[in-house]
Amino acid sequence: MSNTRENTSTGTLPKSELAQHDGSGAVASLPSGQRRRRRTGWAMRLEIALLAGPAALVFIAFVIFPVVIAAYYGFFRWQGYGPATDFIGLQNYITILEDSAFQQALWHNFLIVIGSLVLQGPVAILLALLLNRKMRGQSLIRVLIFVPYVIAEVVVGTGWSLMLATNGALNGMLKNLGLNFLVHDWLSDPNIAIWTLLAILTWKYVGFAVILFLAGLQGIPEELYEAAALDGASYWQIQRRIALPLLGPTLRIWAFLSIIGALQLFDLVYIIWGQYVASTAGTSTMATYMVANGRNAGNFGYGNAVAVVIFLISLIVALFYQRFVLRRDTAGAITGDRRTGRKNR
Amino acid sequence: MKGTKLLTGAAVVMAGALALTGCSGGSDSSSSNGKVSMTLWQNSTTGPGQEFWKNAVAAFEKANPNVSIKVQSIQNEDLDGKLQTALNSGDAPDIFLQRGGGKMAAMVNAGQLMDITGKVSSETKKNISEGSFKAETYQDKVWAMPIAVLPGGLFYSQDLFKAAGITDAPKTIDDLNSDVTKLKGTGVSPIALGAKDAWPAAHWFYWFALRECAGSTMEKTADSKSFSDGCWLKAAEDLQKFSQTKPFNDGFLTTSAQQGAGSSAGLVANHQAAMELMGAWDPGVIASLTPDQKPLPDLGFYPFPEVSGGKGEPGSIMGGVDGYSCSVKAPKECADFLNFVAGTDQQEAYYKAFNAPPVNAEAQKVVTEPYLKDVLKAYNAAPYVSQWLDTVLGQNVGNALNVAVVDMLAGKSDPKQLIQAANDAAKKG
Amino acid sequence: MSAFVVIPDAPDAPGVLEAPPRKKAKGLPWGSPTVYFVALVVIALMLAPIAYIVLGGFRTNSQITVDPAGFPNPWNVQNYLGVLTGGVFWQEVLNSTIVAVVTTLGVIVLGLMASYVLARYTFRGRGILYALFAAGLMFPITVAITPLYIVVRNLGLMNSLGGVILPQIAFGLPTTIIILVPFLRAIPDEIQEAAFIDGCSRLGFFWRMVLRLSLPGVITVGILAFIASWNSYLLPLFLLNNEATFTLPLGVQAFSSQYSVDTAKVLAFTSLSMIPALIFFSLFERRIVGGLTGAVKG
Repeated sequence: MSNTRENTSTGTLPKSELAQHDGSGAVASLPSGQRRRRRTGWAMRLEIALLAGPAALVFIAFVIFPVVIAAYYGFFRWQGYGPATDFIGLQNYITILEDSAFQQALWHNFLIVIGSLVLQGPVAILLALLLNRKMRGQSLIRVLIFVPYVIAEVVVGTGWSLMLATNGALNGMLKNLGLNFLVHDWLSDPNIAIWTLLAILTWKYVGFAVILFLAGLQGIPEELYEAAALDGASYWQIQRRIALPLLGPTLRIWAFLSIIGALQLFDLVYIIWGQYVASTAGTSTMATYMVANGRNAGNFGYGNAVAVVIFLISLIVALFYQRFVLRRDTAGAITGDRRTGRKNR
Repeated sequence: MKGTKLLTGAAVVMAGALALTGCSGGSDSSSSNGKVSMTLWQNSTTGPGQEFWKNAVAAFEKANPNVSIKVQSIQNEDLDGKLQTALNSGDAPDIFLQRGGGKMAAMVNAGQLMDITGKVSSETKKNISEGSFKAETYQDKVWAMPIAVLPGGLFYSQDLFKAAGITDAPKTIDDLNSDVTKLKGTGVSPIALGAKDAWPAAHWFYWFALRECAGSTMEKTADSKSFSDGCWLKAAEDLQKFSQTKPFNDGFLTTSAQQGAGSSAGLVANHQAAMELMGAWDPGVIASLTPDQKPLPDLGFYPFPEVSGGKGEPGSIMGGVDGYSCSVKAPKECADFLNFVAGTDQQEAYYKAFNAPPVNAEAQKVVTEPYLKDVLKAYNAAPYVSQWLDTVLGQNVGNALNVAVVDMLAGKSDPKQLIQAANDAAKKG
Repeated sequence: MSAFVVIPDAPDAPGVLEAPPRKKAKGLPWGSPTVYFVALVVIALMLAPIAYIVLGGFRTNSQITVDPAGFPNPWNVQNYLGVLTGGVFWQEVLNSTIVAVVTTLGVIVLGLMASYVLARYTFRGRGILYALFAAGLMFPITVAITPLYIVVRNLGLMNSLGGVILPQIAFGLPTTIIILVPFLRAIPDEIQEAAFIDGCSRLGFFWRMVLRLSLPGVITVGILAFIASWNSYLLPLFLLNNEATFTLPLGVQAFSSQYSVDTAKVLAFTSLSMIPALIFFSLFERRIVGGLTGAVKG
């Protein structure tokens, strides 16, 4: 697809080379500039300011500014009222990295990332492949699978913690069925709790993955299937050799979302395990660590430092992912992949 | 054009809504044309408790027609966090529960509390002991009105004890261990533990510390936040040894203290556990969780057993004093309200509603329940009284210590690591 | 998990304005029994917990204590009636609605305007502006909450719905812009040229044409923003202390703490709080799922 276009009169942009056919492009890149008569007159500047201004203002005030504030207060020991006066440099960061509770939280996050990908991915792919055919009840099935995603994590957490309590419905049901040996402390046993958490996360988010994959599958032209069938390929061979690879970009996008989401997990853990015992139960995350050691303990300087640490970790992971995994799908904007950066032609 | 209209309309709606939303919430205490309105934050969520505050406020409003008070009940576990947020943002309620100790000191140091030293009426001073006021004193000034004295100890079911063949309440830890074994034989959980809220587990550590450590050591640590004295480690080791007999209910890690029939109080209320280590608020909480929502008929109390070789004075008791503070911005009628609820009539109503010992000596005379009488007896005879350690240590170190105890009880750490975690907490704040 | 979903990609250039021709099957064929069986199992697993919560509200506490996993017997509607007639639930529904609607409108309006600029103007610093918004994805509200609370507090917006709305709009912008920019960029230049030839200014083009042309993307973005706002918990938790301002997720937790004595009542409240989200979802289900489909298809 041509990505340059002689366009002299209107100062508009060429067709985006970003609009590719492979269902990818998590972060849209910017098209290359090209020759046109510059009309950066005041009128245009004013329009830009007017249109983009409000968004930029709100964004800077409530997103960028907090980042700066977090970085600032992270250098202090500060209880939250009055000005911050106790400058301690990098001490907070050192404490964070040395704190075994934080290391455990980081480890749990890692487990959750891997667990989410490994548990949800294959199941969702299988379901998507299975459901990817026109049949009656198709839309009803899609809707019902998606329902858990719509419900608030708080609600999900409240419901599940009642069901999985030691005297709760799940154990009650197992006892009724005579399966006493399967009765466990699903939430309080530190060896099991993290798996319970992964199970609940899978329950909540697998539907979303299925819908996403179904969408990706539906973008694959029928002709490919027909051609393969003509050549004698069986249904599952077709799925494996054709559908799956072409699902690649969608898979990579979904994995990215999953990873970032897993790194910032908070609501579910906080609701089910409360403020104090998440780390003992083996389900604490960096975000719950931040709230428990920051706001709940009155250590606002420390809490801000933790926020900065989480931010940096997410940023590094995202950059890594963009550069090495998504690179083949997009011209990465964030990584500044120079292949399609601004060029003068 | 439809799109344009939609967009314009949207922008107008948004602007309007934003303007409106600015009106919600906001400051609550005000006095204009003589009318005073205040907000009160309290931590009772049981029926009778809520009734008490409603009635108390109504009675006060009747006697002071220009005052109106809005009562907000906040779950006990959420209260400290919310209160701190509110105090920090200048949005504090006028009257609120005060736990005292280091938590109160932090509020005083930030200039958030009203000094009521001169505002306590002589009537109140007559009926409330010096000792109770001591808990609300910091830097020689009084910052809160004590309302209830809540010493701690073990609340137990006499029926379950009898069924296990236990005739007398245990006096030493060895007695307690053998009682635990007997109780296990009857199929109930010997001890209910609400570790999800952390402090119930930590209380076990505090009491062992009270037995092992001299009072002066504890006071020194309260200031220095350093747990270097050997008695702290000994207390942790005592607790670990005690917990190795597995005396607690299954799943204690996610059992809450007071919330629902599955909480530790609920287990005792429904005879699924034989006892729990709590403060004197427990009878009231248990009463709300029994099947008929009436006080547990066979409830008994015994003080925490003695530990041989400990440096703590035998008979020492630990307990909180529930008090109520006025925010520094509150109107002066706030102090009047505090004097009002400390008065004998209100105190008697408080005792009846909460099934907990009132701090007013006159009101204490009407206490009838044997277990509450035992509580008061132990309290009055104690040679040394300490407040709850997490209150004394303040929010940061207190929280960290509580969690460290939970970790040890869950088998994730050992006594040395517990002490280390407590010492490390000071680094974060 | 991520509150906002990054749905990438524009519709492809050639067919951006028309949906691909739909194979209108008159009566779709039945799928194989295996597929339906698997689907049934999956759906049962998905819906069983929800069913438990709903049914639990119809029981009494003693029923739950005695037999945690049983059916309501007898059916007790007191809990549901109590929640529905008490003022708390509806107050919180109202608060949630205000916050979600205003957030969604704000995100759409601001996001669309900014995306238009980023998509169709060229100016120095455009790349930086875009990267700025994109980097915002790395600083989600969960992580930002501690400093954000300080900002909101200093602005005097504590305890107000506005204090919740403005940050939510701000944090919804990165996703919105990343989704909408490709949409807007894919509008063919011919249309823009034609409009300019007819004397339309760039702003006028925006008002008249862009809004209509980007409607599918706008709807998807709006729906996602609405769901995220409706379900958000952490921000209200930090900012709203006054019960009267609670939103529904906050209310669920507060209610379950306050009435924890009464498990059945908590279940009733919880299941009622699921209903607005479910209604909203069923109304817009085609759009949501279709929007995801349209956005991801390659």
